[in-house]
Amino acid sequence: MRKMLCQVCKIREANVHLKEIIGGEVRELHLCDICAKEKGLGEPFLPGFSLPELMLGLTDLEIPSSVEEGPECSGCGLSYEDVRKKGKLGCSLCYQSFREYLNPLLEKIHGKVYHSGKVPKKGKKEYRLDKKVYGLREKLKEAVRKEEYEKAAELRDELRKLEKDGRA
Amino acid sequence: MKFQAMANTASRWLKGDGPEAGIVFSCRARLARSLEGFPFPPWAEESKLRRVSEKILDAIKKSHYLKNARIIDVSELSSTEREFLLERHLISLEFTKGGRFRFLATEEEEMLSLMINEEDHLRLQTIFSGLQLTEAWRLIDRVDDELEENLDYAFLSRYGYLTACPTNAGTGMRASCMLHLPALVAARKINDILKSISQLGLVARGLYGEGTEAQGDFFQVSNQLTLGLKEEEIIDHVERITHRVVEQEKKAREALLKRNGIQIRNEVGRAYGILAGAHLMSSQEALDLLSKLRLGMCLELLPGLNVQTLNELFFLVTPAQLQIREGRGLSPLSRDQLRARLIREKLSKVR
Repeated sequence: MRKMLCQVCKIREANVHLKEIIGGEVRELHLCDICAKEKGLGEPFLPGFSLPELMLGLTDLEIPSSVEEGPECSGCGLSYEDVRKKGKLGCSLCYQSFREYLNPLLEKIHGKVYHSGKVPKKGKKEYRLDKKVYGLREKLKEAVRKEEYEKAAELRDELRKLEKDGRA
Repeated sequence: MKFQAMANTASRWLKGDGPEAGIVFSCRARLARSLEGFPFPPWAEESKLRRVSEKILDAIKKSHYLKNARIIDVSELSSTEREFLLERHLISLEFTKGGRFRFLATEEEEMLSLMINEEDHLRLQTIFSGLQLTEAWRLIDRVDDELEENLDYAFLSRYGYLTACPTNAGTGMRASCMLHLPALVAARKINDILKSISQLGLVARGLYGEGTEAQGDFFQVSNQLTLGLKEEEIIDHVERITHRVVEQEKKAREALLKRNGIQIRNEVGRAYGILAGAHLMSSQEALDLLSKLRLGMCLELLPGLNVQTLNELFFLVTPAQLQIREGRGLSPLSRDQLRARLIREKLSKVR
């Protein structure tokens, strides 16, 4: 069998393997003994251990250094590097300012999903519309990928209508 | 010292009158919310924290559920007083660090409370006895609706309620159950159970939540993911898995009694003997022995005892509860002495 390297140090052989299935998507983590221990994975059962938290730690390491000169959040003025170091976002606008880093991160934690829970009463209509538009866009992408152009055209028209109605 | 009156009354959810209360100590739902236009607390300057706290305190006053809540300024508390609130599950480990413009609001029975300026501007929680997560969710949902009438929550259609840590975004909800699993621990099945729990998308933690260890055979299980599912779906999922664990624990208890009846009777009897007769008792020893006693009570080996007495004992003997009760700081030796005395007194009343 091919040897697998630890995803953290990328030097030693990985011999701690974790697997988690969420929404049909399989996520795996492979670590060496030493890095696993550092992450608090020494014991068979770990109170407080969760894969997303670990993943969060790992993604930190994978962020390219060019991020350091990245944009600042228009709300709080923090850079993504600031936010990454502390592990906490600066304000609600960070979700938009840093979306190119956050989207993949959120997908890694929660899976490729859209909020489907409760919404504030104020603006309920808009939120519903946003969700419909998002769903149609995803379907459209899929149709184009599968080269189902007739279906894509229908979806495009539906989207245009929805967006027009929404603005009205 | 504050909270002396509180130390002499037990939180409502300790009564142990909920379903499956012999195994499910308590269940809890919490919602994380942020206010639009303000930096998240880990980054905010004091002036912003103050403004946030004013807005939320104002919304509390207008809330039917919370208008009579006791408001506690955490920055005015001693470390023992903060510890006391942590032991009662009213504040988080994070909140015991204190800081200005951090508040706790709790209604009298301690089933409904909220923290202002913890990691998020608002952390709302409800705690019920036994397995009543649906009830916990219904209550917290209504309180959340009411608060929202006077607050602008930060929200995006795609990511839901926005939180300082992306692991909480979406519903902002954590649904958890505190389980007492002594038979699964004794049968050495607990690791397998906890492993399968984590494969089902739940996470297991210790007695006081995040960053704490499992003690006295107590485990807190909660949902891992907060985004992409409806609140009801999360509640249902946690509840269903908890039910399965409860069934496993029940089976393990039966098996234990059947196969090792005499050993179990022996252990429970000895635990009772030590608790009823000791004059010095550390909190670790108390937790371990009370866990055995709680198991014995559930197996009907100790007829005079009930869930409520046992649940209250678990809380009565924690270090901060003892000191607040006495109204002064105590040396570890005096604490051990007082703890032993309180347990003796409580047990002598039931038999």
